[in-house]
Amino acid sequence: MTGQTPPVLAVERLGIAFGGLRAVDDVSFEAGRNRITTVIGPNGAGKTTLFNLISGALRPNSGHVRIDGREVTGAAPAALLRLGLARSFQITNLFFGLTVAENLRLAAQVLEPTVRAFLPVRRARVARARVGELLERFGLAAKAAELAGNLSHGEQRRLEIAVAMASRPRILLLDEPTQGMSHGDTEDTAALIRALAADVTILLIEHDIGLVMSLSHHVVVMHQGGKLAEGPPEAVRANPAVQAAYFGHA
Amino acid sequence: MPERPARSFPGRPVADRLSLSMRASHLLVVLLVVAGLALAALGSALGDTFYLRLATEALIYAGLALSVDILLGYTGLLSLGQALYFGIGAYVSALTLMAVPSFWLALLAASGATLVAALIGGVIANRVRGVYFALITFGLAQVVAKVVYNTRELGASDGMIGVPVVEVPLGPFHVSTGSAPGFLLVALALLVLLYAVSAYLLDTPFGRVLIALKANERRVAFLGYSTWRARMAAYVLAALVAGLSGALYPMLRGFVSPELLYFQVSGNAVITVVVGGVGTLVGPIYGAILLTVLKSVIGSWTEHQLIVIGVLFMASVLFLPQGLIGLLRPRLARWLGRAEPPPAKAAEAEARP
Ligand SMILES: Nc1ncnc2c1ncn2[C@@H]1O[C@H](COP(=O)(O)OP(=O)(O)OP(=O)(O)O)[C@@H](O)[C@H]1O
Ligand SMILES: [Mg+2]
Repeated sequence: MTGQTPPVLAVERLGIAFGGLRAVDDVSFEAGRNRITTVIGPNGAGKTTLFNLISGALRPNSGHVRIDGREVTGAAPAALLRLGLARSFQITNLFFGLTVAENLRLAAQVLEPTVRAFLPVRRARVARARVGELLERFGLAAKAAELAGNLSHGEQRRLEIAVAMASRPRILLLDEPTQGMSHGDTEDTAALIRALAADVTILLIEHDIGLVMSLSHHVVVMHQGGKLAEGPPEAVRANPAVQAAYFGHA
Repeated sequence: MPERPARSFPGRPVADRLSLSMRASHLLVVLLVVAGLALAALGSALGDTFYLRLATEALIYAGLALSVDILLGYTGLLSLGQALYFGIGAYVSALTLMAVPSFWLALLAASGATLVAALIGGVIANRVRGVYFALITFGLAQVVAKVVYNTRELGASDGMIGVPVVEVPLGPFHVSTGSAPGFLLVALALLVLLYAVSAYLLDTPFGRVLIALKANERRVAFLGYSTWRARMAAYVLAALVAGLSGALYPMLRGFVSPELLYFQVSGNAVITVVVGGVGTLVGPIYGAILLTVLKSVIGSWTEHQLIVIGVLFMASVLFLPQGLIGLLRPRLARWLGRAEPPPAKAAEAEARP
């Protein structure tokens, strides 16, 4: 085969404005296959809005999103999920009235062939097997029958990632997965994310600079909606413009 | 740590918590069927028609309540206009019976008309959520009720009387809609069928998406499902349940009138669901029986039956948030759960087989 394979995820000159506020302004970057690309930037820089544009939660005013070279700009979240793009949320967004296993089962049922949509849930073997794997992998097996709303904050954050992973996405967007976690939980989650990158392309929003440095293959810095810089973690940290805008007096 | 491929777990599939609570509802429906059969036998032995017809009416309104519960209890949509589809079912059934006295044709025509109406109503109502959805459904029913009220071909404010008694062919048997015990059993059979289909659908991956809508609509789209389509599906399903129940109404009473589409009927159905138990399917059925009987009994000694119903409604909201059936169903589900491995163990078994 000749020619270059297109990047798994490409964002080109993406922009959206809320009234006069350009929340995301002309942002372009690419996420490499099975790499961890981390988006950093001060509060209000537009990171979550960028995720909303990529995941279909918001339609951009301008620019393009491409998956494997295929134009998916403005596609609905459900369609994007079926193309292999899943996301987690900064503010935990689970089915709090359902159990952990039910949350995962719901998220995993897209794996079932469509014909099974109208067969009893207990016959949905693919989803059930997937739930078993996820419970184990995310250390939630002991909590399977617990309501999601009764979990600790750290467990909810882990379930948030597990739900996003349930559909076996190729591209995973994680919005501050470690937010509010204890130090130990943060370390565990970092290890988990690193392991996920073995076969998933990850786009991560993270505030903990230590974690950014140790996890990321590539870093994109946002500031006031625009892209300030991008590159390997060390180069980005050394960039004077980034230091001024983001690391402040570091 | 690469992901391991999906394995299938041999052995008996395990019911989860939602399936178990649905099974608890099934038990209570079986109880209802037994009571219905006993009542039909007792009534025909004693030559009663009043109580048998009252019970039949209760079962018809139970179907309407079931419809409200599919929306409110499972999908999280409060419809204040479910009488619209109940009324359309009743009118189309009456019109059909007056033209061609065929029971099955009447049901078919009623479902067809309800389906079309629900697709149109659904497209309108599902543009909005929450309070606005409730108001739109209310408005739709009011508009159609007014149109019916002013349409001479539909009998205008008087409605249509003289719906003929027909035979209900059930394979080798024939039952007349005029036979009080016979028609009670027909209404019971239809209600159980509507219940069974609804309960079945709600326990499939399709139904779980509806349940997810109620739990957290914002996340459902990110699980790969169009929330609009799911809401439409729930809306149409609920409308069909209401329409088919309404189709029996003219067979029981021999007439239809615009009051069938009024808010009184929609509102009563919501009260019924809340009193019986939201999100249980079977609760609204028992609620409908309780309310219909109460109204008739209280109505025989005071005109102020609405006060009693109102107090009952407030008492349920305040003291029985799970409704009447909420007292019973979780216990049944737990008891059923003991017959299976308890959910916690089952889930662990799924995790490490
Ligand atoms: N739907 C919206 N309507 C109007 N303004 C919005 C909307 N979403 C975001 N904004 C604004 O856009 C800007 C960027 O917000 P965004 O949530 O993307 O920031 P962020 O980088 O994720 O910040 P944080 O680190 O605090 O999560 C903020 O000023 C925010 O108030
Ligand atoms: Mg954010």
